[in-house]
Amino acid sequence: MSVDPMAYETQFFGFTPQTCMLRFYIAFQDYLFEVMLVVEGVMLKKLDSIPGCKVSPSQIRKCTEKFLVFMKEHLDKLFAKMEEVVLQLVMNIPKNVLLPEDRVQEQYPYSKEEFQALQDELQQLQQQCRAEAVVEQALRAELEEQKVVTAELEKILQCFDGLENICREHGASNFKESFALLMQSSKKLQDVLKDVEEKSKKMKQRDQLM
Amino acid sequence: DGPAPAAVPGRAQVFATVVDTFLEKLVAAGSYQRFVNCYRCFYKLQPQLTRSIYDQFISQLQASIKEEVQEVKNEGNLEGLFSSLDKIVEEAKDREEPAWRPSGIPEEDIRSTMVPYLLKHRSHLCRVLREKEEENRKVAESVLMGRNRIAELQQLIQARQQAWQAISKEQQELIMTFQEPQ
Repeated sequence: MSVDPMAYETQFFGFTPQTCMLRFYIAFQDYLFEVMLVVEGVMLKKLDSIPGCKVSPSQIRKCTEKFLVFMKEHLDKLFAKMEEVVLQLVMNIPKNVLLPEDRVQEQYPYSKEEFQALQDELQQLQQQCRAEAVVEQALRAELEEQKVVTAELEKILQCFDGLENICREHGASNFKESFALLMQSSKKLQDVLKDVEEKSKKMKQRDQLM
Repeated sequence: DGPAPAAVPGRAQVFATVVDTFLEKLVAAGSYQRFVNCYRCFYKLQPQLTRSIYDQFISQLQASIKEEVQEVKNEGNLEGLFSSLDKIVEEAKDREEPAWRPSGIPEEDIRSTMVPYLLKHRSHLCRVLREKEEENRKVAESVLMGRNRIAELQQLIQARQQAWQAISKEQQELIMTFQEPQ
């Protein structure tokens, strides 16, 4: 006969139902023996106080044994019935009943493969997060560099602006035009100079001839 | 209306009834008659004392047994557990299929307990990833704008450079005209 270990009931009660019943049985048996010893003791004491008593202690002992055997037999029979009822009706969890602490088992019945897939998914997500963190670092580093470079370039531009402002303050805003005019004037001057030199040369020649 | 239907006795009550029945029957078996039958020699000598001894015996035995039962009930909080179990069984009354039971293999059984945590972790990671991606998208936009700005500045500077170089060339040409031989 296979013995039901009642593991689920043990999970709930914190002890094995059969162990509990055994504890009761041993205790009841012990009390029966104890109290019978007391009964015998009282009787023996009384017999002691009667002078010329015809009843011997061994006779009392035999009576006690007789009664004890009878009581134990009934104790065993009655206890067996009690145990049966308790194990079947009181300290049992019907097959269709799920303990509240085990609800997750029916809520998330994941197979080994499904569980592994979930773990793999988590690993992948973590990797993606790490990758995004690396990207963020690179982007922010470039942003910092850009700040420095932009500041430098703007400074250079400011220098140019400064130059132009100085020129404007001194009235020379368009160099190209100024130089073009100057070149024209200089060319004119040179032409005039050339003219004058030629005329002077001619005059000198005429003077020499005369 | 007839009387209300008797409620199904709870486990605590069944237990109490079973213990009481046990005691009743045990006491009935250990009757005074039976006691006297066994201790006939003493009874003949001391009938009254025999009665008194028997009464004490029976009451002591019952008291000890009841005390033991109460002690075990207190130690194991049986009353509370019985009533909890009654409730749990009542809640499952509409369910017919057998419920889950531990497989005996801890690695298998623990999977389902871990799943809710893993699912929470997964949704957390998804959210963090989405936020990070969004943030990086914005930073990337700033980086692109920054690059454009730098290119723009470089162009402006080059234009100014060229303008000044042209002026310098004109200046050179002007100087050359002063130095031009006849």
